[in-house]
Amino acid sequence: MWFRRPAGWLGGVITIDGLVKRRGGKEILAGVGFEARPGRVTGFLGPNGAGKSSTLRILLGLDRAHSGTALVDGVPYTRLADPVRTVGAVLDGSGAHRSRTGRAHLRWVARSAALPLSRVDEVLALVGLTDAAAKRVGGYSLGMGRRLALATALLGDPSVLVLDEPLNGLDPEGIRFVRTFLRERARSGRTVLLSSHLMGELAETVDDVVVIDRGRIVASGTLAEVTGEHRNLEDAFFALTSGSGR
Amino acid sequence: MRAVRAELAKLGTLPSVWLAGALALVVPAGIALLNSRVPGPDRGYQELGFGVMGVIVLGVVAVSSEYLTEGADAGGGRQLATSLTAVPSRVRFLAAKAAAVVLVAVPLAFAATAATMGIVHVTLAERAAALDAGRLAGVVCYWTYTALLAFAITVLLRHGIVPLTVLLVNTSVVSVTFLLTKVTPLAYYFPDMAGMRMFVGEIADDRVVISPLLGLLVMSAWVAGLLALAGAVFTRRDA
Repeated sequence: MWFRRPAGWLGGVITIDGLVKRRGGKEILAGVGFEARPGRVTGFLGPNGAGKSSTLRILLGLDRAHSGTALVDGVPYTRLADPVRTVGAVLDGSGAHRSRTGRAHLRWVARSAALPLSRVDEVLALVGLTDAAAKRVGGYSLGMGRRLALATALLGDPSVLVLDEPLNGLDPEGIRFVRTFLRERARSGRTVLLSSHLMGELAETVDDVVVIDRGRIVASGTLAEVTGEHRNLEDAFFALTSGSGR
Repeated sequence: MRAVRAELAKLGTLPSVWLAGALALVVPAGIALLNSRVPGPDRGYQELGFGVMGVIVLGVVAVSSEYLTEGADAGGGRQLATSLTAVPSRVRFLAAKAAAVVLVAVPLAFAATAATMGIVHVTLAERAAALDAGRLAGVVCYWTYTALLAFAITVLLRHGIVPLTVLLVNTSVVSVTFLLTKVTPLAYYFPDMAGMRMFVGEIADDRVVISPLLGLLVMSAWVAGLLALAGAVFTRRDA
């Protein structure tokens, strides 16, 4: 890094630049670029099918871009020395095999990163799954699966959290839990990047907003900047995306 | 190494892997028990040739479990995303998984061989064929290679049902590769037909002579080729 790191710097700057992705002749991402910074919750908003998941999957090295870069502290995810300790990811569902128990799932992830197995019980307690740890994931509710995914992401106590639609399918209590939790992560100097198509749920949670529509970034800035003249984030969103989410 | 440890932990906590272990022990030993009245030079070895179902299941589920989609109401995720965020290098991930499959398949082959040959020697007593270290090594090699073949094919298909059905049917109900030998002698060079020569002296009315060493080489080439292809495809496509 060319700038001096402030005290307590955890790193975790996400820099996405010029991502282009085509699938079946269709351009899904047409030059997507934005930044997510430590100490802030960045909301990556857009209607379904706008390219949010594709962008996050490219950032995590799961999908490949035709051009452009997605970096964490200047390094592509696939070349991070210790990915589990650097970035925690919450994608679709639980990310666990249904016939394994929640604890067994967390244990193999811990082993893959040479983390102490004591972390497993810590993250289970953190997300409130201790009582369900010995149950098979197939018997989990959607909300419990999402909590397990969050627990998995937290195993390495990473400086970056990347979450794809983390509020999907959660009950009000779950939504409140995730929101409070993500705010706390940002307050402790970590980077939180989450995607969502639910504007109303996010206004109180995010510091920065990036709006994507049909594979293009149509706005980015602080919550106040993106909201601008509009009554609220939701109005701004529909004005920016010309209601293509409806 | 830690990636291998993670893959071993995954296998050990998957119920279908335990089923695979049970099949590996019970099937060849069971057939040996049924055949116990018929002595012959290939007794025991033949049963171990047909009894590879356990390692087929092992090789398939090691991969298909990564691709199994959670139900739509559970969020539609797949374990593969978790695996590749934990071990982002595709080559390292696949190599670790293959290594874990081998580390399970080899002891299973040893245990199954011991159980099957034990039954053959108890039931046939002095009429049983003498144990031959080379042929026994061939059995272990055949089992391990079969697990890796199932593994590589499942990586290419990203789904377990088809490779599981085809490979299991081929070893048990109707051996398609064996029937093909009636059509063309080239079919003797299929991996299972050739690999079995490492330890089975005679395959019914065979017209092509393949030495144990050639059998080893042919099956090795199949395994290496399919693993290389699986690796090339896996590193290039989106997860």
